[in-house]
Amino acid sequence: MERAVPPTVPLGQMEVFQALQRLHMTIFSQCFSPCGKFLAAGNNYGQIAIFSLSAALSSEAKEESKKPIVTFQAHDGPVYSMVSTDRHLFSAGDGEVKAWLWAEILKKGCKELWCRQPPYRTSLEVPEINALLLVPKENSLILAGGDCQLHTMDLETGTFTRALRGHTDYIHCLALRDRNPEVLSGGEDGTVRLWDLRMAKEVQTIEVYKHEECSRPHNGRWIGCLATDSDWMVCGGGPALTLWHLRSSTPTTIFPMWAPQKHVTFYQDLILSAGQGPCVNQWQLSGELKAQVPGSSPGLLSLSLNQQPAAPECKVLTAAGNSCRVDVFTNLGYRAFSLSF
Amino acid sequence: MSSESSKKRKPKVIRSDGAPAEGKRNRSDPEQEGKYYSEEAEVDLRDPGRDYELYKYTCQELQRLMAEIQDLKSRGGKDAAVEIEDRRILSCVHFMTLKKLNRLAHIRLKKGRDQTHEAKQKVDAYHLQLQNLLYEVMHLQKEITKCLEFKSKHEEIDLVSVEEFYQEAPPDISKAEITMGDPHQQTLARLDWELEQRKRLAEQYRESLSNKEKILKEIEVKKEYLSSLQPRLNSIMQASLPVQEYLFMPFDQAHKQYETARHLPPPLYVLFVQATAYGQACAHMKSSQPPRQDKTLSVAIEGSVDEAKALFKPHEESQDDESDSDAEEEQTTKRRRPTLGVQLDDKRKEMLKRHPLSVMLDLKCKDDSVLHLTFYYLMNLNIMTVKARVTTATELITPISAGDLLSPDSVLSCLYPGDHGKKTPNPANQYQFDKVGILTLRDYVLDLGHPYLWVQKLGGLHFPKEQPQPTVIADHSLSSSHMETTMKLLKTRVQSRLALHKQFASLEHGIVPVTSDCHYLFPAKVVSRLVKWVTIAHEDYVELHFTKDIVEAGLAGDTNLYYMALVERGTAKLQAAVVLNPGYSSIPPIFQLCLNWKGEKTNSNDDNIRAMESEVNVCYKELCGPRPGHQLLTNQLQRLCVLLDVYLETEIHDDSVEGPKEFPQEKMCLRLFRGPSRMKPFKYNHPQGFFSHR
Repeated sequence: MERAVPPTVPLGQMEVFQALQRLHMTIFSQCFSPCGKFLAAGNNYGQIAIFSLSAALSSEAKEESKKPIVTFQAHDGPVYSMVSTDRHLFSAGDGEVKAWLWAEILKKGCKELWCRQPPYRTSLEVPEINALLLVPKENSLILAGGDCQLHTMDLETGTFTRALRGHTDYIHCLALRDRNPEVLSGGEDGTVRLWDLRMAKEVQTIEVYKHEECSRPHNGRWIGCLATDSDWMVCGGGPALTLWHLRSSTPTTIFPMWAPQKHVTFYQDLILSAGQGPCVNQWQLSGELKAQVPGSSPGLLSLSLNQQPAAPECKVLTAAGNSCRVDVFTNLGYRAFSLSF
Repeated sequence: MSSESSKKRKPKVIRSDGAPAEGKRNRSDPEQEGKYYSEEAEVDLRDPGRDYELYKYTCQELQRLMAEIQDLKSRGGKDAAVEIEDRRILSCVHFMTLKKLNRLAHIRLKKGRDQTHEAKQKVDAYHLQLQNLLYEVMHLQKEITKCLEFKSKHEEIDLVSVEEFYQEAPPDISKAEITMGDPHQQTLARLDWELEQRKRLAEQYRESLSNKEKILKEIEVKKEYLSSLQPRLNSIMQASLPVQEYLFMPFDQAHKQYETARHLPPPLYVLFVQATAYGQACAHMKSSQPPRQDKTLSVAIEGSVDEAKALFKPHEESQDDESDSDAEEEQTTKRRRPTLGVQLDDKRKEMLKRHPLSVMLDLKCKDDSVLHLTFYYLMNLNIMTVKARVTTATELITPISAGDLLSPDSVLSCLYPGDHGKKTPNPANQYQFDKVGILTLRDYVLDLGHPYLWVQKLGGLHFPKEQPQPTVIADHSLSSSHMETTMKLLKTRVQSRLALHKQFASLEHGIVPVTSDCHYLFPAKVVSRLVKWVTIAHEDYVELHFTKDIVEAGLAGDTNLYYMALVERGTAKLQAAVVLNPGYSSIPPIFQLCLNWKGEKTNSNDDNIRAMESEVNVCYKELCGPRPGHQLLTNQLQRLCVLLDVYLETEIHDDSVEGPKEFPQEKMCLRLFRGPSRMKPFKYNHPQGFFSHR
């Protein structure tokens, strides 16, 4: 098996420190570039590393090409979330969102374009931003996190236009519905809330932990991940991973996975999920576990599918979590290699 | 007429036949010449041509007569007979003439033969003479070529060149006007000049020899004078000793030490000189203290000087011997095969032999503990080794877990990163080891001392890895450039070890000693308690199931020290496997955690355990406390107790389980969870006393 950690023995103070830092690194977020050839990954030390997928996937790929082409300090705290538009990369960490130009990043000039902080009320601790969501129709960015609100930022003007309040604990995740201008949010309080963006209000609340089929009190109530596809929504976390029918707000399928899931996504007719444990789980909609593909990290936090039509050769699934490595799956069957900080 | 002539002829024939002696008398007597007829003389007088004419005529006459006779006979007649008779008489006369002619011809033939013979003899004589002369010519020619090929000795002599010769030689030798055109004379003159010059040089040589003799004699005299001076000086020195002691000036002692130092091998000498210099420099800096008593660094030489001298003297011979003895040894090994093992043993001992002299360094730390370092030099391996010992001012109670902390084997391990002191730093040694069957120096370090790299550098020895050098020479500048940092590192090492030693004693009793200047790092109330602190073996550490990451990252080398701590609170038991790098406290101890509470939780299945590890391992800098950071380990342990408190108190309560929470939340926290991985608030904010997220 491929060993991502080189077997060199760290000796001096600096080397030991660096080895320890790598050992305790967590990659919270990943994002593909608009051209599809690059992958940005953000870790708990506030660094963003840019990997060249096209180089790593090419036939003459060396160990070197699995290292980042550029790494820069983006935030003071961890980089919890990243999204990308045609030109920009948005990264969010402790209380602020920063924009970077892809063109600049790839030229290795890593200076932030701007930095914005949503209007917070508390002062003692700056709330973190756990999730970013682009709403292309209205050209805005939704930020959600520690202050239990969904802040909408207009990308044209850079101003925060509205705040959606309702969650009683911090928000973990966001998802955008395809047709209606509606956003789903899941949080630590165990609820999934559906927001209508036009009316700027909550239209539906699903308290997942209250449904006996999926509640798991020993794991807590929190909703760590959710994804949506037309009328369907899948969410997981403390409660079991469950497929919901939104209109009737009933759980249709409970996926038999003991470990809390941290990321879930629809992919063709499958549901991909990852969480505690090294595996990427592939589910049939019926609740059947189709496959469990092991990665190199002890726990996964994010999955990312590169579906940019511009780079069909770089169509991969990447998974990152509690290690300094980003696992790359060229097909869903096995881990091809790992990119490493 | 014909009858007359026939009569005359007869007596002559008779006489000449009868008495040949009469011929002489006849010739010598001219009167008788008329009487005696000599036909031989007549031959000379007669012309052979006319004789031939006569012969032809006579023959024709005879033929005619014969034909007439025949004619007459055939006709027959009376007068024929008379005619015939006449004719017969005539032909008789002709016969007589023919006879005479015949005789004459004979005599002539005989004469001709004699003449030819005579001429032939003459020709023979001339021919012989010619041959003799030719031979002589040839011989002379040979002699001439021999002469031409002759080589003279003077061609082997190196002569000065012609130009030089004309420049330097006096005119009475060079004789330019004669020799210029004549190469023979020139060569002769040049040879003369050569001879002259050689004579002069020989003279000079003799003079120099006598000069040398003279100077030698002078030296002898002066030496005698100097040796007579020595005892006198000695007595003066002896007399001055009490004065020196009285005046407190250790000149003599220092002198003695330097005297001994002369017998040190070069690397130890470099070390001795540099260490002494450094010690003096340190003493000068703290000039307020009286010198000598309170020196932080004292240097001494130990061992037998006589042995060192004995070693030094036959040094040159023994080097020559070695090659011989090698050959001998080969022979002996062939002869005595069963003792091969013993011989190898001897060879090993010989190879690992150290110089009889060693240098002692005593490094005094602030708290009066002393690090005794003894430096040895392995002569055949050309490396230095060190043995270390630590003594403290007050007697230490040695905790069980502190066994290795001050052991001579490990106290100086990894003073510089990676310097284990188990391998020989001299790359050439490996080949020497192969010869005598030593696998590695590791098996011998306990006995010989450790060949750390810094020891070689203090001794001025440098073994570059890239370009192996045939001879490594002790270098003063290398030693002096490393002296200060190394001494400081040594001091820090001893102090941190002593600090650990003390801390371990209380750790074993379950008390985490937190000094007053570190109280601000922790909340006042810490419920979790350290219950166990034991040392574990490297192998045991590697086999623990939750230490895999550290082992894979190469952070768990066998030079580190390994401990197991157990922190308890109620039913929760937190195991912490600790790697203590020999470079503590600049390199932090590394903790790996395993919590036994509601199942087993490690960094692979619980993000918060992982976060706790990173709190103590990565964020260790805020736990170092005041410099030089000897409190790091205890602070880390105390922090671990606090972290366990936070972890347990913030754990969500399972509503389905009856009864009160085992660990009610006592800590003040702003939020319980944060971020995608639901971190607990592990960060302690000092004056306010609440916990927040990092």
